[in-house]
Amino acid sequence: MDHIGEVIESSTKGFVARSPRVGESPSFGSFVKTDSSPVVYGLVYEIITQSSEPGRRPTAYDMSMDELKREQPQIFELLKTEFHVLTLAHTDSKKLNFTLSPLPPPIHSFIYECTDKEKKELSEQDFFLRTIVSSSNVPVDDLLISSLYHASTVRKDDSEYIVRMGKSLSRYFKDDYERLSSILRRVLY
Amino acid sequence: MLGERRHFVDEFGEKIKLAQSELRNKSKNWEELSRKVDKSKTSWLLAGISSPLNITSPLPKRPSNYTAISSDGSQIFPDRHEALPCYLINISSIILNYGDNSGANLSSDPVLFYKEQDRFTLWDGKKIPANSEVISHRRTLMEFERLLDLVKETSGRENIISISDGTLILWRLEGTPSDFKSGVLEPFLNIMEELKNRRVPIVGYISSPGSADVINVLRLGLCPEKVSYCNQCPYTELPKLPCAQVEGLTDNNLFSRVLKQGERSAVFRSSSRILESYGDHHIYFFYINIGEEIARVEIPKWVAEDNKLLTLAHTLVYDQAKKGKGYPVAIAEAHEQAVVKGKDRNFFFDLIKESMVKADFNVTISRKGLSKRVPGV
Repeated sequence: MDHIGEVIESSTKGFVARSPRVGESPSFGSFVKTDSSPVVYGLVYEIITQSSEPGRRPTAYDMSMDELKREQPQIFELLKTEFHVLTLAHTDSKKLNFTLSPLPPPIHSFIYECTDKEKKELSEQDFFLRTIVSSSNVPVDDLLISSLYHASTVRKDDSEYIVRMGKSLSRYFKDDYERLSSILRRVLY
Repeated sequence: MLGERRHFVDEFGEKIKLAQSELRNKSKNWEELSRKVDKSKTSWLLAGISSPLNITSPLPKRPSNYTAISSDGSQIFPDRHEALPCYLINISSIILNYGDNSGANLSSDPVLFYKEQDRFTLWDGKKIPANSEVISHRRTLMEFERLLDLVKETSGRENIISISDGTLILWRLEGTPSDFKSGVLEPFLNIMEELKNRRVPIVGYISSPGSADVINVLRLGLCPEKVSYCNQCPYTELPKLPCAQVEGLTDNNLFSRVLKQGERSAVFRSSSRILESYGDHHIYFFYINIGEEIARVEIPKWVAEDNKLLTLAHTLVYDQAKKGKGYPVAIAEAHEQAVVKGKDRNFFFDLIKESMVKADFNVTISRKGLSKRVPGV
């Protein structure tokens, strides 16, 4: 399996990875992992494509994507796509730990998409929802919805699972009915 | 000041009008003017002419697939106030493939020069330290060498053009001793020969040119002498020389009123002295209206005389300039890849000092270098 990113910034709470190809990235809310030891698991919560050179800004060309590729091929060499990952868990002697990793993944570690088995394990308990809710600087509500979407897709839309996670959310947002209702309605939409 | 400015603008307008009508008039009997150009000895550069002066060629259709190649260079000059006498030249490589199988390769390769043979050069039989002039010539040569390498890399592609930033006339070599001159010129002409054999046009692109080679031909046309010798000018007693009527204009001023967007001028021959050594690669040029401005495009003789290559150069230069919003995108990217900034320079010398310290060398820099680094109050 090809890697889908390379760590270029690393911290305990999360990391930033650069995509090998411009415009391509794991989707928002998807589960990813590093190839480091310990393996660090996380959720993609921000994807940015921008100029790779400070001081140069992309400008409008008024061309379709196909025309741009034929007539302005250099611009794709001057852009970069990066994605930010929120750390959810790490492995400790083969066991999955739903805590921050003792050490962040080394810079230049490769990022891979999680297998279906790993996605199920990571989302079996509601820990990932708790991590999202208690994180700052991430789009909390949308990340809850998208990660639940990925978690339920891998379970072939198991309704019992959705109900179980919905109950957890209702505990986190017991003081904010409007917000809970908005999230749940969008999960079920 | 404004009064003077008004006078200048009025006078400029009159000169331009005269230059335009002269361009038309002298085109009728251009062969005679061409002979006068060949025989006269003027104090200014004259464009050689081999067609009417005022002909314009419309923009030819662009082939849908083509490849633009460019290279540029930048350097860190040696600094005697630094720890080691060495210098660096960074040469960029740009390959832009358009149409089917499009794609771009943008990169640069820095080369460190520190060996004895790098740091000294033969100058009139003497060994002298490589100064900024020597390094600049070395850099120019490396740019053309890179262009040829890139052409070889893309040999499978159709419609290749190599574009160089600035002139193809190495006039700075005029006045350098013959041993140094041939050390640059010979390899340069060998590269031109290889490009000629591969039928890949090379162009030198000059944005907003200040040259007046064609205006100077009009000045010659205004001179009443049959053959003009400026050093024996019989009109110096007159309040104004006959040739001064269009003096001060540039070819850019003239052709911006003659050429419509996409059109190119006639092809002219440059008369720079250094070109006497160019042989089959003598440099010719034309002006082109790329919309945003007039550019001067220099080409070797074998492109000027090959209609297919000339047409290709015309259309591809225009397309490159359009893509780059007024300046050829290949040259602009070549510059971006090659450029070495002040910060890079400091980093470079810091890296050298760090390596020396790691290898247990004593690092000494001059008091001047030190004072710049740690200025006191």
